[in-house]
Amino acid sequence: MAAASQAVSAPPSAAAPAPAPNPGKRKTRAKGKGNKNKAKKKLARSGQDDSIHRRRNKPSAKFLKLLRKRARDYNSDDDEEDDDRQQEHQPNPRRRRRDEEEEEEEDEALSHSDQEEEDEEEEGVSTSAITRFEQGCRAFRVAFLKIMAKKLPDDPLGPILSAHKKLVAAKLAEELEEHKPKGEARKEKRMAAEKGHVIPEDHLDSKEKELIKVATKGVVRLFNAVSKAQKPRKDLNPSRTKDAKVLAKERKNTFLAELEMPSHQDKKSQAPSNFSKHTGKDEDEPAWAPLRDTYMLGSKLKDWDKMKDSAAASGQAEVPLGDSSDEE
Amino acid sequence: MRQPRSGPGKRRGRGPRIPATTLRKQQAALANVDQITGAKIPKSFVFSRGKLPSTLRHLQQDLRKVMLPYTALNLKEKKRNNLKDFVNVAGPLGVTHFLILSNPKSLPHLRFSNSPQGPTFTFQIEEYALAADIANSQKRPRCPPGIFKNSPLVVLSGFSGLGNPFESLVEYFQHMVPAVDPSTVKLAECQRILLLKYDKEKEVVDFRHYSIKLQPIGVSRRIRKLMQNNQVPDLRDLKDVSDYVTKAGYGSESEVDDEAATVSLPSDVDKLNRASRKSAVRLQEIGPRMTMRLVKVEAGLCSGDVLYPWPVAKESVGEKGKVTEEEIEGQEETEDELEDGSEDEMEE
Repeated sequence: MAAASQAVSAPPSAAAPAPAPNPGKRKTRAKGKGNKNKAKKKLARSGQDDSIHRRRNKPSAKFLKLLRKRARDYNSDDDEEDDDRQQEHQPNPRRRRRDEEEEEEEDEALSHSDQEEEDEEEEGVSTSAITRFEQGCRAFRVAFLKIMAKKLPDDPLGPILSAHKKLVAAKLAEELEEHKPKGEARKEKRMAAEKGHVIPEDHLDSKEKELIKVATKGVVRLFNAVSKAQKPRKDLNPSRTKDAKVLAKERKNTFLAELEMPSHQDKKSQAPSNFSKHTGKDEDEPAWAPLRDTYMLGSKLKDWDKMKDSAAASGQAEVPLGDSSDEE
Repeated sequence: MRQPRSGPGKRRGRGPRIPATTLRKQQAALANVDQITGAKIPKSFVFSRGKLPSTLRHLQQDLRKVMLPYTALNLKEKKRNNLKDFVNVAGPLGVTHFLILSNPKSLPHLRFSNSPQGPTFTFQIEEYALAADIANSQKRPRCPPGIFKNSPLVVLSGFSGLGNPFESLVEYFQHMVPAVDPSTVKLAECQRILLLKYDKEKEVVDFRHYSIKLQPIGVSRRIRKLMQNNQVPDLRDLKDVSDYVTKAGYGSESEVDDEAATVSLPSDVDKLNRASRKSAVRLQEIGPRMTMRLVKVEAGLCSGDVLYPWPVAKESVGEKGKVTEEEIEGQEETEDELEDGSEDEMEE
């Protein structure tokens, strides 16, 4: 804990003397060892000689304390914070003592390595911090290089922390299992929706040709029936003007005659049953529907199956027909 | 300026004053009746019970197009609409025929029924192809916009001598579209044909929908195209104009005319097909295409007594196995539809 706080607090102390190294040096030489003692004393008894420290750009004890506290807060969890506050009075002196010891050791190291023993303590602290950081950096570098040199397995998951790796693998496997039945279900659903749906072939097979032939026959029969019904005279050619005039006159006459004549629907029932849907009508009705008495009265579709079934007189059909007539 | 007079003076005609509601009713009734023949025009609803997958929804739309013009092309149904709602709406609108699609677990079903009181013919759609599928399969799909302005002709084949359920089925199909009166119909209006053919071996009904095209006989393809397109032909490779007429076209399909497909027209159909000319009838499929099996016939509208299949006791022993299958199927259907008809809350 203490070491960490030291490491954190070191950079600002190192940065502080940077702007004026030379003048500071001169001044320290003038003051000599007394200053060092004073500093030690000041560390022991905080809140003294503030003016001197400020003059020499040295962080005050209060500031250091604040930094340390911040570091402690940063490193510690919330739970520990309360304990720290409670023990604030006890560990502080101990920590200070340890700090002093460290500083002394550092000073000794400096005296071993450097010629200038009188160099101020503050500078010594900064250099030691840098070296320590460099060492840490080297270790970090080695570790980093080691990691980078590692050959990654050809894993679809990619480089993941091993703890997570298992979790992710499990999760992926689960998803895959889920996906599989989902896809199958979708396929089944699609098949169910498409049941009975057949894409026709490009060419007409024999069956389709047969059907077309049947349909064509039906159309030809209808057209022939129509031409028989609508063509008044076979010997006249309607494209010739002379004949066309005669035809128009005849058409008019037939139209007028038809209006007065009784219905000729029965005559037409000999036409193919497919398209002559007129059931029997009263004989004395005019052909044009609006002139009939029964025009728009009652529907012919109502009892469409009655006559047939009564003719057939099957015991099977009688019951439902009775029902339907009751409902009316 | 004359002041518009109010009250009875406003009337123009000399006849008795007709209330607006009566007038509206009369007009509505007029719309349901063919002006020339006086026959009641059958109108139809094509809708679905339950939720349909997208292909079946396309089939529904195709069926609506088949039933045009006397159907609601953009009929919207909601989940909470039950059959009674449709029946209630059908009365005032003069809708007489219902085509109901549903998608049970086995195979999609199509029910043909008459609106207020039945009967209902339930078909199982064993195979179907949409109009889009048919168009995709053709090299040159033909679907001119005017084709749906008139109702299709219905051609029934193979239904003769089959006994009762099929007799009534034939009656139903004949009344599904307006009757064609040979003395008054215009041939130019006959542009579509609906073929329903009963396959006796497989016991299925083939449902096909074709467009009718008339082609003059004895006219080369080039002349025909010239008349149809109204465009100046490409004469670059020809030395003389007469070459265009005399030069035989490559493999013209109009040369393979068979006598069965030729008609002589009583009146002009269009520019090419004039009266007293021989024309060939060509059919091209426009879809949809369905192969349906009759599963059940009910007396009422999706309810009532089951007329077909017969009860097992009356069946001959030889056919028993096959028919019992149908019977079971039919029974299941009955239960489904009873729920369907009474309370539609059960449907999703």
